[in-house]
This record gives sequence, C-alpha cells and structure tokens, in this order.
Amino acid sequence: MNLQPDDFWTFSEWLFRPGAFLESAFLQGVVLIVLAIVLGLLVGYVISAARYGPGEGFYAVARAIRDLLRTDLPGTSPSRIVALARLAFKEAIRRRVLFVVGLFVVILLLAGWFLNPESDDPARLYISFVLTATNYLVLALALFISAFSLPQDIENRTIYTIVTKPVRATEIVLGRMLGFVAVGTVMLIPMGLASYIFVDRGLDHTHYGVVEANEIDGRIVGKTDRVRKHEHTFTIEAGETQGLTNFVRGHRHVVTRNDDGSFTIGPPTGQLRARIPSYGEIQFYDRNGDPKESGIDVGAERLAGGYGSAGISRLIGVAKGNRKLEHSYVEGGTLGMAEFTFDNVTRQRFPDKIPFDLSIRAYRSFKGDIESGIRGSLTFKNPDTGFSLTPKQFTVEEYQIDERELPLTFEWLNKETGEVETRNVFDDVVTEDGRMQILLKCLDSSQYLGVTKSGLYLRPAESSFGWNLTKAYGSIWLQMTMIIAFGVMFSTFLSGPVAMVATAVCVLLGFSAESIYDTRHFIDSNIERGGGPIESLVRLVKQDAMTTQLDVEGVANTLIKSADAVIVYTMDAVATALPNLPRMVSTAEYAASGIDIFNAVLARHSVATLGYCLLAFLISYFFLKAREIAA
Amino acid sequence: MDTDSTAVADSADENTPAGAAPVAARASATGSDVVIETRNLSKIYKDFWGRKKVHALKSLDIEVRKGEIFGLLGPNGSGKSTTIKLILGLLFPTSGRVLVFDKDATETKKNEQIGYLPEESYLYQFLNAEETLDFYGRLFDMSGRQRKQRVEELLTLVGLQGARHRQLREYSKGMRRRVGLAQALINDPDLILLDEPTTGLDPIGIREMKDLILALRDQGKTILLCSHQLGDVQDVCDRVAILHQGELKELGRVTDLLKVQDVTEVHASGLSEEAKNEIREVIARHGADLKSMDNPTATMEDLFLNIVRESEARPGARRVSATASDEPAADASAAEGSQAGSDNS
Repeated sequence: MNLQPDDFWTFSEWLFRPGAFLESAFLQGVVLIVLAIVLGLLVGYVISAARYGPGEGFYAVARAIRDLLRTDLPGTSPSRIVALARLAFKEAIRRRVLFVVGLFVVILLLAGWFLNPESDDPARLYISFVLTATNYLVLALALFISAFSLPQDIENRTIYTIVTKPVRATEIVLGRMLGFVAVGTVMLIPMGLASYIFVDRGLDHTHYGVVEANEIDGRIVGKTDRVRKHEHTFTIEAGETQGLTNFVRGHRHVVTRNDDGSFTIGPPTGQLRARIPSYGEIQFYDRNGDPKESGIDVGAERLAGGYGSAGISRLIGVAKGNRKLEHSYVEGGTLGMAEFTFDNVTRQRFPDKIPFDLSIRAYRSFKGDIESGIRGSLTFKNPDTGFSLTPKQFTVEEYQIDERELPLTFEWLNKETGEVETRNVFDDVVTEDGRMQILLKCLDSSQYLGVTKSGLYLRPAESSFGWNLTKAYGSIWLQMTMIIAFGVMFSTFLSGPVAMVATAVCVLLGFSAESIYDTRHFIDSNIERGGGPIESLVRLVKQDAMTTQLDVEGVANTLIKSADAVIVYTMDAVATALPNLPRMVSTAEYAASGIDIFNAVLARHSVATLGYCLLAFLISYFFLKAREIAA
Repeated sequence: MDTDSTAVADSADENTPAGAAPVAARASATGSDVVIETRNLSKIYKDFWGRKKVHALKSLDIEVRKGEIFGLLGPNGSGKSTTIKLILGLLFPTSGRVLVFDKDATETKKNEQIGYLPEESYLYQFLNAEETLDFYGRLFDMSGRQRKQRVEELLTLVGLQGARHRQLREYSKGMRRRVGLAQALINDPDLILLDEPTTGLDPIGIREMKDLILALRDQGKTILLCSHQLGDVQDVCDRVAILHQGELKELGRVTDLLKVQDVTEVHASGLSEEAKNEIREVIARHGADLKSMDNPTATMEDLFLNIVRESEARPGARRVSATASDEPAADASAAEGSQAGSDNS
C-alpha cells in the first residue's frame, strides 16, 4: 500500500495545517459554510423578492433566519425527531430494502466461484472485494432511499398530516436523515458479519499431510503437500512436538507431530492482519552521498493525483501541481541510500524485539541474475553517536509485505579488550530520546530499489482483523451518512428522480475530483494534455493525439479554450466543495493490505461527514421552510 | 329541489334548529373570540416561470369564532380547499394574511391546538391504525401512557378497535376516513379543520360524522369544515360562507340564510280531507297563494338509516318480494311511526 503525504497527517495537522493554513480542512469548511450562507441569503432573497416584492422579500429572509434561531432550533424536540426517524425506518423496512442484504449474500456466493483463492495474495483479493461490493451497494441504496422518500410524501400528500402537527422543518429533515442512517446501519451489520465469515472461510484451507520429513539430530525438517498452488516447509525443533511452517502467501500453519510419527497440520493463521505501523521520516541520498529531497524517478510516474490534499490553496492557485507520492529509487552499488529516522523507539513499545516490515519495489536496468532477486541491505544506526550494526542483507520481495525483526541483543567485538560482548540495542543503537535510523541500500550495482515513506516501518503492535474490518465498515457508514444527507437535502426541493440524479452527480463529481483538478492543472500551466470537455471532443472527432497542439485556428480556438476554461473552473470549484469520497473509499485498501486503519484518518472522515451533514441540514431546512408544501 | 318549493315538510329539519340555535347564541355571546381571521386573503397559483395560472382566491375576509361550526361551501374549484390550506400554512398567501389563534398561519406553534382531517386521508399505508395514531401522538410530544390512553379512546370513538392491527392499505375508504378523523383528534384540539368530512362515508358513517361534529362543538371546540354536500353543511353548520370562483358570495347564519321569509310552513297530522279543503279555503280567503299541500316524503337518508337500525336490532335477511312491495315500507314505518307509505310514492 502506497500511502500519500496527507495520510500521515494527524487529526490536528489535517484540521489546521500548521504552516500552510490555506490548505487546512478547517478553512475549507469555514469557507464552504460562509459561501453556503451568503449564497443561501442571496437565493432566498431573490426567491422571496419574486414572491413578495423587493422590500417584503428582505423581511421574509430575515424572518426565516429569526425563525430558525429563535423558535425552530430551540423548539426542535428529540422525541419528534425519533418519531419521524422511526417512520422513515419503518417505511424503508416495509419497502423491503432488507432484500439488499439478501442480494449481498447472493453476490458473495457467486463471488465464491470467481474469486481465486490460489492467487498470490488471496487475503487482499477477498477483503477488497467484500469491502468494495458493500461500499457501492450501500451507496446506491442510500441514494435510492434518501432521494425518493420526501418527494413521495409530498406527492402522496401524507406530508399534510405531518406539517399540520407541531412539527418543525428541522425535525422533518433530521428525522429522515437519522431514520435512513438507521436503516443503513441495520443493513451494514449483517453485511459486515457475512463479509467476515466469507473472508475467513474463503481463505481457509487444509494441508492434508506431509510429503517429506527428514530428521537431523532430532530436529525435523519437512515439506507439506501442495494445496491451492502452494506448499510450506516446516521445522520441529528437537524435543518439541509442535513446529511452524514458513510464511507463504501471508499465512503459516502449526504442524504437530503425533505419537505414531504422523503429522497433523493446523488451519492457516496470520493471513488476516491489522498491523499498527510506526512510520519514520525519510531522507534520500544520491550516488555521491549528498542529501536529496527524493530519490531517482525511474519513469514518468508523477503525473496525476494528490491535488485534493491542498484544499483551498489549490483552488485559488496558491498551491500548484500534484502531490502524489510515488516510489523514489536508490541506485545500487553507490553511496545512494534511503535513511529512515524513527522516533519513540522505547523499551515499553518494543519489550522483546523490534519487528519491522519492508514493502519495497525493485527496478531492473538489466536482467541480472534471474535466480536470485535484487539484494539490499539494512543498517541500524544511532543518529547521535553514529554507531551502527553490521548491515543486514536481504533479497527484495516485491508486492508483498516482508516481515522482519531486529533482536534486542547483538554481539559486539570490543576492540579494546578483544572480547565479544552481548549488548542491547536500546543502549547503543537507540538514542536516549528514543530515535533510531535504518539505512536502506541496494547492493546490486545498476539496479534500483524504490521506497516511499511507508515502505519501511516499525511494527510495535497489532490490532485484530475483526476490529479493522469494523473500522472499514465504519468508513462505509460515514460515506452512506453523507450520501443520505445529500439525498435528503436535494429531495427537499427536487422531485425524487431528479434528487437522485443530483445526488449521484455529486457522488460522481466527488469521485472524479482528482481528474478535474488534473485537467485544470494542465490548463493552468499551458501543457497540452487534451484540454477540457469541448476540446477533448474536438480531438476525439479529429482523431488528434492528446499531447499535440489543438488543430483549430483563430477565433474557434479561443472560443473552445475559453468555454473549456469556464466549464473546468466551475467543475473544479464544485468538486472542491464536495466531499472527497475516493479518500474515504480508500480505507478499504488499508484493511486489504492488513494495516490497521489510522484512527486519525477515521476521525478526519467523521468530522468531514459531520460538517457536510450540518451543511446539508441547514440547506434542507431553508428549502423546506420556504416551500409551499401543498403547491 | 330548490329552496322556493321546500315550503311544506322537511324531515331533516329536526337536527338543525335543535342543535344550532343554543350554540349560535353562545357563539355570538363570545363573539370577540376570533379563532381564525383572514384579511383580504388572495391566492394566485403560478407556474414554474411565475406566470399566473389560476386566481384561486380573491380577497377573502372571514372570521371564525370560538365554539362555532363554520362551513365553507362551494362547487369544485371554488377555493374551499385553498382557504383551508392557507389557514394551515400549507400554502402561502399571495397577498393578505391569515391569523389563527392570533398567530400567523405559517407558525408551527399554532398546530398544537389544531386538528386537521385532509380531503382524503393521506396516511401512511404501511402502518396499522394503532401505529398511525401512536405516531401522530408522538408528534405532539405526548408521553407513552398518554398516547396509549388517547389511542384507545379514539379507536373506540371511531369504531376501529377490531381493525387496529391491520395495515391501512387493507382498509376501505370509510375506515381510512375514520383513522384520518382519529388522527385529527389525537391532540384534543381546540380548532378542527375538516376538508370534505363526509366524502367516502356510507350513510351511517355520514350520520355518525355529523353527530360527532356536533358533539365536538358541544365540547366547546371550534370547527371549520368545507364541503360541497349541501345536506351536511345545512345539518351541522352554524354559519356558512359560500364561495364561488374564489370569491365570497354569501356569509351568515344557516338558519337566517335558509329562512324563506314569505312562506309559512304548517305540519299537522290526522287532518281529514274536509279539514284540508277548509284550510285551502282559508288560505284563498286571505289572498295568499297555496304552493303545495301534500303528504310529506321522508328522505332517502331516513329510510336507509331506519332499515339499517332495524336490521341491527333483528339480524337476518329481510323479506323483500315483488308481490308484497309495500312490506319493507311497512316495516320502516313501524319503526319510525309517522311516515307511512313514503316508500311507495
């Protein structure tokens, strides 16, 4: 999993962006709310002025705000909200939306045929499948239930009997939102359980026996049979009856030697993980050993992406360019290296050993030795004293997480006394304030190793997979809540189908925000990359390549370009205002990669969801309040 | 039948004067208590582009006083429903104002004292009667015990105890109407707005509804109803406003409006033919014009209600034969007493 710079932000860093306040989520939220208020007042005034005349229109707007603050918000009653939420809940349930859960189970059953448990990383395949399926199914469902309910109530006039009771617009809106969120929650729980069982059972397999076992000095070394296109080797130490196999495809088995000399192989363990990583700061050095901001770029990988993390400052043109973090490469056989500095390496966090994971890529400039992989080395170093351990050599395992560990003791030759001493890592390699460095080098010359900040991390603890899956479902729940809020908002002033389309457009714009930002970036920086929608269409029709000059002369060219600029800039502004759904969907990637979803990431999503719900709530309130229900 | 020729005999008149007179007097005694007031109320329906479509209501000025039954009468499209919706705040006036309990009609607070029975019972089809009433009770922030008690009372009142657990989608139109009425009364409102209260009801239901309306009035509640069933309005209303094409055409006490000033009505029983001739002569002698002198006919409503009441007392099929066509009439007259042979005429 390749984490982006903004993934590492803590919650407060995300909210306030110290040093770059223009990028902060807080500012974005404030601007959004202020804009909504100003636009709301303006639109409200225009509508009331058309209805009552310019003077009276002003009072109408003032009255609406006074009503909200003086009577409607304080008068909002929780029990009425609950009553309306219960109604929305019952309505959805009696419309048999729970069939969707059944549909989900059917999808899982069908998927059982098509998902290949013999693939290289079956856990990732299964987990990302269940999470993606749940995500899109639940979002589609949220879209449907939220957009149609209120318009239908107005059309059937059932709303007449509601609004003629002492029910406030705030309560109608909140009741709907909460009711549908409850429906979604009730559906997500069985879906989550089914997913867990599906993943757990889908990855389960049995090795039936041992095909080879040799006893050397009481130590048994053997090999299991081949099941699902993989086999394990195992060792049982002398005097022991149980041993472990090696890790293949992310799992291992316990092998037990029975009294009669036969072997029993246990179920797979360790394939469903939730590693809690502890990342360090990365510093690259070029082939001459000079510090550099990044390593070598081995391809045009820095094209699109990461714009969104710049927030408002990108929209107003202060921050330019993409911010996607791609692998930076270290050249082999030179002084080039990547230096990771870890903080807070303490005895409390690592009482027995220092586990660390490698997730490194290799780039070959020639074929090399096809038998062995590319070799690298890791040097553990004390950043203050410069003391370092003997470099540990390893062979790069690409596209998987290579789990390793550093024992807390090492043997050291005391040159003064000439004796070999057993020393502790915390005394020599880690500084007093808990810092430690790991230097990553590539040993094969003219070959390259690629890493990002997330390519090497310490693993002080582990969380349970079940909890991590729950967090991933929490993220889906937040997305669902957001879409329900938007759906209800649009349904206060649009008819059902139109409200659904409007919500869907918002979702799609949110999903394609990065592409829109990208298009704008190239328009801004005058790089030919296909241009806006009209230009793209012209290129399509004329069958022109993306990177050539637009083959249209004179006024037409100016016209196309300016129209495109207007469209793209508008879409850019709208997309910036919308929730960044792809980032929320990407929490599935954490779970699939076996990494504990960062609490800061979930907290950010929660706050963003809350903010958007608040916004949707206010907009809904004013629209509903201003609406002639019986018209 | 038009009003000029109803000089002799109208059997429905037992209801109107008996019920209306004392309350009308009470209404005028507390005339300052205006519950609903419309001032120069106008409503123009516009299309999406703001172009005028219908001028539904033109400068309506009415006052509904505490404790009276006020009827809005008019043909379809005359602005009755529009008026009610404006009073409820479901529509916003194009000009003019509506005050309900001295508050603007768009204020939510006023709804605490209001009960509204919409034109058709717009209720949630997927709820059953008990759930429906419980739900509306919750909207008034009523406590659990209060709700339970009130739901029980209302189900008994509208006679739906037996069907309380059936979803409303399975209900007949009349049953839905009853639930609709029950939900309008859930909060024991001071002002009740009834939009076409008797549509969809069978004759017994209509009678029960009318009796209920009168009973509510006797409890001191104010009722505004709109209808195009002239009989209903005549039977229960103290005052009526007649609307046509959005304009107020007539406003006043039902008894005053219906009194035909220069016609005298005489009811008598046991008159012989000679006596009748004598009366004719007396009338002729005084230079007056005898418009009609006949045996009164009962209304279909009376006949129907009699039959049903009797069948409830004595269940089983009624003997109806082609040869003895006067038999049912005889039965009916046996129950009612005075109106023999009305069926034959």
